[in-house]
Amino acid sequence: MTVHVLGISGFYHDSAAAIVSDGEIVAAAQEERFSRRKHDPRFPQHAINYCLGEAFIETSELDAVVFYDHPLLTLDRVIKSLLTVAPRGRQQWMKAAPSVLGVKVHVERFIRKALGPNVPVLFTKHHLAHAASAFYPSPFDEAAILTIDGVGEWATTSIAEGSGSEIQILKEIRYPHSLGLLYSAFTYFCGFKVNSGEYKLMGLAPYGEPRYVDLIEERLLHMKPDGSFRLNLEYFGYLDSNRMTNERFSELFGGPPRPAESRITRREMDLASSIQKVIEKVLLGLAGHARELTGKRNLVMAGGVALNCVANGVLQRKKLFDELWIQPAAGDAGGALGAALVASCRYFNVPRKMNSQGRDSQRGSYLGPSFSKSEVRAFLDRENYPYEAVGDSQQRALKIAQVLSEGKVVGHLAGRMEFGPRSLGARSILGDPRRTDTQVLMNLKIKYRESFRPFAPTVLAEDCSKYFEMEGESPYMLLVAPVRKERRLEMDLSRFDQGNEDLLEVVKQPRSDVPAVTHVDYSARVQTILRNDCPAYYDVVKAFRERTGCSAIVNTSFNVRGEPIVCSPQDAYRCFMRTEMDLLVLEDCLLFKKEQPRWEEEDDWRNRYELD
Amino acid sequence: MNRQLFQYHPQIGYTFIPGLKTRVAHDGGGYLVQVNQAGFRSSREFQRQKPAGVFRILLFGDSFTAADGVSNIARYSDLLESQFTGIEVFNYGLSGTGTDQQYVIYRELAAGVECDLVVIAVLVENIRRVAARYRVYLDAEGNRIVYAKPYFCLESGHELVRYHDPVPKEPVPEDHLTPDELQHVDQGGNFAWFRQAVNTLGSRARDVAQRWSRYQPLPAYESAEHPDWILTKAILSQWISQCLSPVIVCPLPLYQHVEETCDPAAYQARFRELGTETGAVIHDPLPDYWQVPRDARRKFRFPNDIHPTPLSHQLLADSLMPCIQSFLHQRGR
Repeated sequence: MTVHVLGISGFYHDSAAAIVSDGEIVAAAQEERFSRRKHDPRFPQHAINYCLGEAFIETSELDAVVFYDHPLLTLDRVIKSLLTVAPRGRQQWMKAAPSVLGVKVHVERFIRKALGPNVPVLFTKHHLAHAASAFYPSPFDEAAILTIDGVGEWATTSIAEGSGSEIQILKEIRYPHSLGLLYSAFTYFCGFKVNSGEYKLMGLAPYGEPRYVDLIEERLLHMKPDGSFRLNLEYFGYLDSNRMTNERFSELFGGPPRPAESRITRREMDLASSIQKVIEKVLLGLAGHARELTGKRNLVMAGGVALNCVANGVLQRKKLFDELWIQPAAGDAGGALGAALVASCRYFNVPRKMNSQGRDSQRGSYLGPSFSKSEVRAFLDRENYPYEAVGDSQQRALKIAQVLSEGKVVGHLAGRMEFGPRSLGARSILGDPRRTDTQVLMNLKIKYRESFRPFAPTVLAEDCSKYFEMEGESPYMLLVAPVRKERRLEMDLSRFDQGNEDLLEVVKQPRSDVPAVTHVDYSARVQTILRNDCPAYYDVVKAFRERTGCSAIVNTSFNVRGEPIVCSPQDAYRCFMRTEMDLLVLEDCLLFKKEQPRWEEEDDWRNRYELD
Repeated sequence: MNRQLFQYHPQIGYTFIPGLKTRVAHDGGGYLVQVNQAGFRSSREFQRQKPAGVFRILLFGDSFTAADGVSNIARYSDLLESQFTGIEVFNYGLSGTGTDQQYVIYRELAAGVECDLVVIAVLVENIRRVAARYRVYLDAEGNRIVYAKPYFCLESGHELVRYHDPVPKEPVPEDHLTPDELQHVDQGGNFAWFRQAVNTLGSRARDVAQRWSRYQPLPAYESAEHPDWILTKAILSQWISQCLSPVIVCPLPLYQHVEETCDPAAYQARFRELGTETGAVIHDPLPDYWQVPRDARRKFRFPNDIHPTPLSHQLLADSLMPCIQSFLHQRGR
């Protein structure tokens, strides 16, 4: 009998579900993709429905449902933390109470209501779920495991050891000392939204100078030789208020937090740069200690901080470990997958399934729903949207490549949706990386987001080293690497250096022969692709190389600012028509914007999405 | 996200999307749907040729037979298959259709399929759909959309003539319909505004209102001369006459009949007349429902959806089994 285990995460942010059958990852998806509410924290009913459908099993066939967190331990942490700051902390309690009292302690009831009264419900610890999500799908039989996030129950950082089917947690750093919360505090202070704006802070860092590093290390963070750290809580607000930082923090950095959507100043750029350097330093310390503690040659990572691909790139280049593997859904969504895997291995004694080809068993993270050609055509025919069906995948790729080479922007939906925050070609917006205007065009007219934000390249794995100083693969876009020196172009930053804070002026300057994917520090967040990973997407990149000689294209998530990444053909069409994309690819159907009927909506759709 | 389940079909109006394999979220929790290449819910392809030694049944009906709310394997068609060795049931059920559309399915897609028995499961409410030329659907945002459907008219008193062939693909704006056409939009029954008002109060309030008002949902059965019944009977008679195999007509009751909040006598009388006139076997499962204590019958439908639950499908399979067995015995099995 097959052992089916459903993992669930939720009730904080990014709820998700994942299903593992006999140790094989069958499906995983975030709730937001179905509910169309970004970072949806609610019970992941749609994601569960999808997972059961993908596994094609009845709820009665589930051997267990596993929640990624232990609600009572979380409640324990919340109450004890509040007692330490009492009588302050009322605001914090009001914020936390609905989750930890109103929902989380009733998780079991939610699950039974949704999936039946007899389904066995299990709980795992938060960091064990992260550790499992990092280790079990990795290509390593043995590895050191590092999980770093904001907080899960009490733990904020864990060092563990994985061997075969076993995971042993060796060391923990506990709340309130948290690298994730430290980074979120700077995210908040720089005017970005916590739990979603961290990427912006990372993208802003190369514009600044790390002139606050010493101040942060002197006043905010005490690092020890074993890589562990403590925060000076006098500067933070998250223990006793609804704010991440307090007045002392503001005094330290020259004034109040930047209001959201206001002009970004040199201070924010320098703060972003500084905290990035600090994070890298702590990460290297923790990784070094994990190496000493475990003696393992490989490292796997998960937790929200593992999405800091700049730090990941630094870690990889330091060569503390032979190899590094990071769970692509490193945040809380990935906890659903880890929970299912850990229960499968530990509770049901299902042997760990490793990829026989020596690769990971994450399946390229293409773990979400797909839509058949019949489904796509049924939708387009019903709506009477004009399309051109190109059945031959090579011909289709050539047509798409031609459109891209003309400087046009393409929405691309093919195969199963990605699990995790990165689009990897299945739900992506594509552009020509050679053009200097691509970044501005795609930021302002397609994504409707801040102009400074960089775009990432997808590059044919076989040609990666021609463009980037990187060894090995980066299939999940989790590593940042320098653009090769011979491709770089010198930038004139004299006006910027003299105090002009207009980031657009910097962005518009060519930086390399692939300027749209070269950040201002000549780095790039690289996705390498092999044909087996996503054939339709690989063929597009290859066709682009054949047409232009360039082996890379711009790949950004298929959404607009504040919107979850598209899931279905219907979502994709809607997003396509709301933006200035030129071509939409829905499996084997090509839809040109100029041929589509006029798109009308009753109200301004931008108001439907809360800005992130 | 509601996954699209249907695709346009020029003769039938629509079918399920071929090859679909998904789980549909539902009042009952959710159900597994697998669709074959012919566009019907089945885990097997409908091969024209019947393998030797197999007793094959072709089954037609609407969402009660396609089984909205119930996984493929828990439907009465599939339960029948699993309870008899050597029988195949090709379930051509299609949600939202009337007997007229089901007859079109037979003519267009099933007439040439070898079989031993044809079962036409007529949800008694289908009589209203037979009289309709347009049906109202709700899109993903809950907006009303009117689509044309294939329909028949009796001309020269006896000739069935088909219209909407091919079925118009585009939805029809209601304000583009003539007053006569508007009369033929199936609104889901009489007193649409009143039903809508009662439905907003929840299923319990609806049940009370129906019991209190002695609601008779299908007045068209009350007279053998009612034009809707005459048309339905003509379609069924022609269909039965074209079948080369024996035919069972199975009138499927509404929940009001099952729960005895309305009187089934009129429709039962009409179907008995049909059996007498055509020679088809009429199998009425209602007496089997009534074997169950009345207070337990609420479990035959979902909390907020009138479709039959898996329990109801089991009862239907059990009810049909002796009837089908008699045909198996005739075949010496």
